[in-house]
Amino acid sequence: MRAADPALTLPGGVAAGDRRTVARTFVGLLALLLAATILLSAAVGPAGFGFDVLRPLFAGDTAADANALILWEIRLPRTLLGVMVGGSLAIAGALMQGLFRNPLADPGLIGISSGSALGAVTMIVLGAGPLAPVALALSIYALPTAAFVGGLSVTILLYAIATREGRTSVATMLLAGIALAAISAAGTGLLIFGSDDQQLREITFWSLGSLGGATWTKVATLAPVLLAATLVVPLLSRGLNALLLGQAEAFHLGVPVQMVKRTVIVVAAALTGAAVAFTGVIGFVGIVAPHLLRLAIGPDHRYLLPGSALLGGIVMVAADMVARTVVAPAELPIGIVAAAMGAPFFLWILLRQRGVVDL
Amino acid sequence: MLNQSRPPLRAAGALIGFALALAAGLSVTGTALAAQAQRVVTIGGAVTEIAYALGQQDRIVGVDATSFFPADATEKPNVGYMRALSPEGVLALRPDLILAVEGSGPPGAVDILKSASVPFVTVPEGRTPEGIDRKIERVADALGVPEAGRDLAARVHDDLAAVLDKTRGVSARRRVLFVMALTDGRPMGAGQDTAADAVIRLAGAENALQGVSGYKPVSPEAIAATAPDIVLAMRRSDGVELDPDQLFATPALKFTPAARDRALVVMDGLYLLGFGPRTASAVRDLAARLYPDLDLPGGHASR
Amino acid sequence: MRDAAATVAPLIEARGVSVRYGPHTVLTPTDLTIGAGATTVIVGPNGAGKTTLMRALTGELAPSSGAVLFDGADIATLSAATLARRRAVLPQATRLSFPFTVHEVVRLGCPAGRDDSARIAALLERVDLAGFGHRYYQQLSGGEQQRVQLARVLAQLDIGRDGAGEGDLPRALFLDEPTSSLDIRHQIAVLEIARTYAAAGWAVLAILHDLNMAAMFADRILVVDRGRVVADGRPAAVITAELVSRVFGVNADIGARDGIPYVLPPRPAGLPDGRI
Repeated sequence: MRAADPALTLPGGVAAGDRRTVARTFVGLLALLLAATILLSAAVGPAGFGFDVLRPLFAGDTAADANALILWEIRLPRTLLGVMVGGSLAIAGALMQGLFRNPLADPGLIGISSGSALGAVTMIVLGAGPLAPVALALSIYALPTAAFVGGLSVTILLYAIATREGRTSVATMLLAGIALAAISAAGTGLLIFGSDDQQLREITFWSLGSLGGATWTKVATLAPVLLAATLVVPLLSRGLNALLLGQAEAFHLGVPVQMVKRTVIVVAAALTGAAVAFTGVIGFVGIVAPHLLRLAIGPDHRYLLPGSALLGGIVMVAADMVARTVVAPAELPIGIVAAAMGAPFFLWILLRQRGVVDL
Repeated sequence: MLNQSRPPLRAAGALIGFALALAAGLSVTGTALAAQAQRVVTIGGAVTEIAYALGQQDRIVGVDATSFFPADATEKPNVGYMRALSPEGVLALRPDLILAVEGSGPPGAVDILKSASVPFVTVPEGRTPEGIDRKIERVADALGVPEAGRDLAARVHDDLAAVLDKTRGVSARRRVLFVMALTDGRPMGAGQDTAADAVIRLAGAENALQGVSGYKPVSPEAIAATAPDIVLAMRRSDGVELDPDQLFATPALKFTPAARDRALVVMDGLYLLGFGPRTASAVRDLAARLYPDLDLPGGHASR
Repeated sequence: MRDAAATVAPLIEARGVSVRYGPHTVLTPTDLTIGAGATTVIVGPNGAGKTTLMRALTGELAPSSGAVLFDGADIATLSAATLARRRAVLPQATRLSFPFTVHEVVRLGCPAGRDDSARIAALLERVDLAGFGHRYYQQLSGGEQQRVQLARVLAQLDIGRDGAGEGDLPRALFLDEPTSSLDIRHQIAVLEIARTYAAAGWAVLAILHDLNMAAMFADRILVVDRGRVVADGRPAAVITAELVSRVFGVNADIGARDGIPYVLPPRPAGLPDGRI
């Protein structure tokens, strides 16, 4: 029998390898940080900085004062949309990483991003011509709807290809996803080829992502999707934890594997599809937020999922603050900012943690 | 000895002289050939317009996808979008002259066209009255009708000068925001160094968007803060234009003076931004909409 | 002397179970009963169908024909959660791509919403990994990882001890080559743990490659060869020179100690007599 350090044989706590308290504390801190970030975002923008801008917020005053208008009609919906989109993408990323048992997975793997791009580009290019009646009927919802339909279609197709007799093969999904992404890209390319200058510009900037079109209506539309997801996702935590051991092992532990896989795919698709539909393709957040969190609190999905949502929201709002102030009055696409800010930081973290994370 | 060295020298001299004469003759012939070109491809909406205005349309065998005016031009064979030319497509029309506006591309295709033995004339882009003159003159020279060119340029210049005379005197300049596109509620505006900016200033107004170069997505907050009086937009060749309801409902514009007055001016894209023979009329029309009380010359039908 | 299969009603029953992959039959129709309170070991050459048989018995693999019954119920009709309360499976090797601590891996076996820290610590001690709770699973050796998995599997089934769950109903513990990465001391330790649970009334079914370990620790040995059970009985009855030669193609010397057979592999050809 090995001689054991008495301190290390304590039944609970971090010393014994139980990171639950640490995880709970961390998630709590993230929630506070998110609240602070939201307040900061409301106070910062090309139309003025400073906390007196926030006064209407606390006075509950929606007067026609210019500052109040900017705050209520532009900054707040934008900030909230950012929180929701960031949270959605991060949860979807964490779910994908659990499903594929790979820390490099991101929501794009199930074809959502390329499908959404195809849908959006189709609407941008053909919305003036063959699809004009549709564009007219849907009015401001035309582009988000097209993007959502595109993303969902590809995911459904992918799921159908990978599922036989009720069993979904994750490996098949991955490979078929590559193929479908290529087909979507080809379709998108053809449409781009047939587009003019103005449409090209629109396509480019849509693809880079932006929170610039945020309205209370969009916030209200995305909210139910996110709410439904937050109700379902905690139920998946145990199943996802077990799935990390392997599908057979999860089955032996009593997890209804096929149902968990199906639910994960549906939730991830819905979250990503809705997010991308409203803001264009924003990469990076979906991979990095869960990954960073895992390095801090471990892979337990009970804390990873809510933590990712919070961290994703924080990253998105922070990136948006930079995006709309750094070249004001113009706006940088937020996807670029998120990647430019986050990637070097992420690399640094990885280099420091080389021993622990083994792919 | 002396007798033996002379024939080579003389032969060399003759050869050189002959070569020079040939070159001179060829270049003269070349220009003459170009000026007499019967199969012309015009690339660039303004270039095509100028060629038609000079009465040279029968010599045109092909135009590009941005040549929407006059209507007859759209019946000519189409070589594609001016920035995405296919050399083979252009050369398949067996042109003996290519007139391309500056900015045609891609650069590789243009190189190939230049190296094919077809005269390739680049027409400089210009967003000032002088720039328009230069455009007209370059096209006219290339087509061998310099006189007609000078007449046309003078007419356009005078018309434009008459308008500018009035618009320069405007004291209360209106603030105009040019919206190129409204993608999903995100406005793309025209900053400095754009045709839109130039035409706004010619019409005696101010570009509400300052500090940005080119056509860029604009922060809704910045638009709200800059409070434009009027939104200017272009109508595409297929008739599609911005919907004022959608436009004024976005948070960016909702609380601007422009939204309050539902002040939206839509004009045909090529007419407004082409900087060709119709520009004087376009500036006049724009100024008329911006300043209804201004006493402007002429009474062209607005488009 | 241990009494083979001298225990209660069969916990697991296979009736006409066969497994086919396309035209290739991996397991011919097999009838089998596994009783609680005994340790059964499956041996056989590579590719004989041992793992396939185990997979059919655990419910991981749906048989091409026949049915598997667990405590009288057809496992095809039982939900994964129901099965998980009564049986656990130790896999051959588990690779994790995520930075779990040892404690967290073992806790995967515990039901949610309870504080099992004391139990986890006790189980880690049981598998000779006391104090390893905070270590990262990925940094452990293969043998250590295997023992962590064993602790997890035991945690899954250990509920009855606390009086909750299914109380004292017999459980089944499946072990797929549980000793493959272990040194001899730990091989013996793990198999002793298995026998302890069998003695407490569980059914233990293990696949082993080592015939000697099988003979020492099994109450009953099943020999599987080319998709069929060719021998079934007490070690002394099954491990014979004739069987080893016929099934494994090796001419070994069989000895016995206290009635338990042991297998001595033949001397390698070409070596001088005795000395190396």
